[in-house]
Amino acid sequence: MELIWDSLRQALHMILTADPTVLDAGFRSLWISAIAVTGAGIVGLPLGSLLARVRFPARRIIITLFRAGMAVPTVFIGLLCFAFFERHGPLGPYDLLFTPGAIMAGEFLLALPLVVTISHGAIAALDPRVAETAKSLGAGLVRRWLTYLSEAKTGILVAMMTAFSRCVTELGIAMMVGGNIKERTQTLTTATALETGQGEFARGLAMGLILLLIAMIVTSLIVFLGREDE
Amino acid sequence: MNNPPLIQIKDLKVVKNGRTICSVPEILVNEGQRLACIGKNGSGKSTLLRVLAGFEKDCLGICKVSAPKKERVYVHQSPYLFRGSVLFNVKYGLRARRHSHRTSEKVARQWLEALGVQNLAERSVHELSGGEKQRVALARAFSLEPRLLLLDEPLSELDEPGSASCLEAIARLVDSTIIVASPAPLPSVQGLRMETFVLEDRTET
Repeated sequence: MELIWDSLRQALHMILTADPTVLDAGFRSLWISAIAVTGAGIVGLPLGSLLARVRFPARRIIITLFRAGMAVPTVFIGLLCFAFFERHGPLGPYDLLFTPGAIMAGEFLLALPLVVTISHGAIAALDPRVAETAKSLGAGLVRRWLTYLSEAKTGILVAMMTAFSRCVTELGIAMMVGGNIKERTQTLTTATALETGQGEFARGLAMGLILLLIAMIVTSLIVFLGREDE
Repeated sequence: MNNPPLIQIKDLKVVKNGRTICSVPEILVNEGQRLACIGKNGSGKSTLLRVLAGFEKDCLGICKVSAPKKERVYVHQSPYLFRGSVLFNVKYGLRARRHSHRTSEKVARQWLEALGVQNLAERSVHELSGGEKQRVALARAFSLEPRLLLLDEPLSELDEPGSASCLEAIARLVDSTIIVASPAPLPSVQGLRMETFVLEDRTET
């Protein structure tokens, strides 16, 4: 118990004195996840809306596949990306393995099923009068889509923030295709694992605390935006 | 003189889950005509309006509407207002029809005034009462001055002055063909000549 309190004190000290390793890994985690989730939003929101609004033969199967995709372990996505990015893989010539780009690609695949599934659910649950009113008032395809997104705003925000939380706290992908290279691909989760593995419990705990803080901020944002909606 | 009718209905039937929910033997509606479609609850008034708006696909018989869908505007009995301000809602259709911001705002304010809710323009739709919502939805529909306007029980939530301003606003829409579904005959208003069509109770089950 004493070890935990000591580590906690050291951890707070490192956060308050802006320890360079902790900050470096923290910022890297944030921007990699932010870009991955933005990409997942750009692809996933139109896809989720399409699955919610348009009836076509393979629709149910695609929805089921995306739902199943939410449960895929991050290590499996990491392995898949590794197979694509390694020297003899299909994307080997681009030399992406052990770069932030490789982590981004993996996190994009992690975030996409979440964004598609949650946004699909939010748009499918909209009052049928939304579509009828928008159509009746003469809104074209793009305006109608923007109206659906706006009316399902809370659900869409939950989708994006859930995806962001998942990306920023994942370990498997960052470890497999990032390689935990200091000042290049080290993220908060890989740094936490490394420091703890090396017996640097306090540093590991400090990074764990920052992860916890980010998760709490994101959750509070979801709650706040949900409330504003009411 | 011999223009073809805007709406031509013959032996129209809408069947859902084996039940006939709307049955209309014949209606002809000419361009510019105003028709009050009277019927009891469950007589199929709303369904008829939804068929004319193009929202009901599974119907039998003949239903020809010569106005394209983008020139038909349907207002639900319990209208839906989009998230945002009243003004945003009334401008929505005008902006969708590519009117400029300035024109949209001017027209939207005029119609809000016609329905006596100009003071609500900046308010959020979440703050409105049922009657206010209905007036805003009507202003949003009227502002487009569509070729075919379909109003499902537009007076259901309105008080007497509200009903009067709604009917007066309808009278101003001289170029629109208007069909109003209502459970009872509409109160008469100067300048508004409304023909009545009684929708019989469906008998088939």
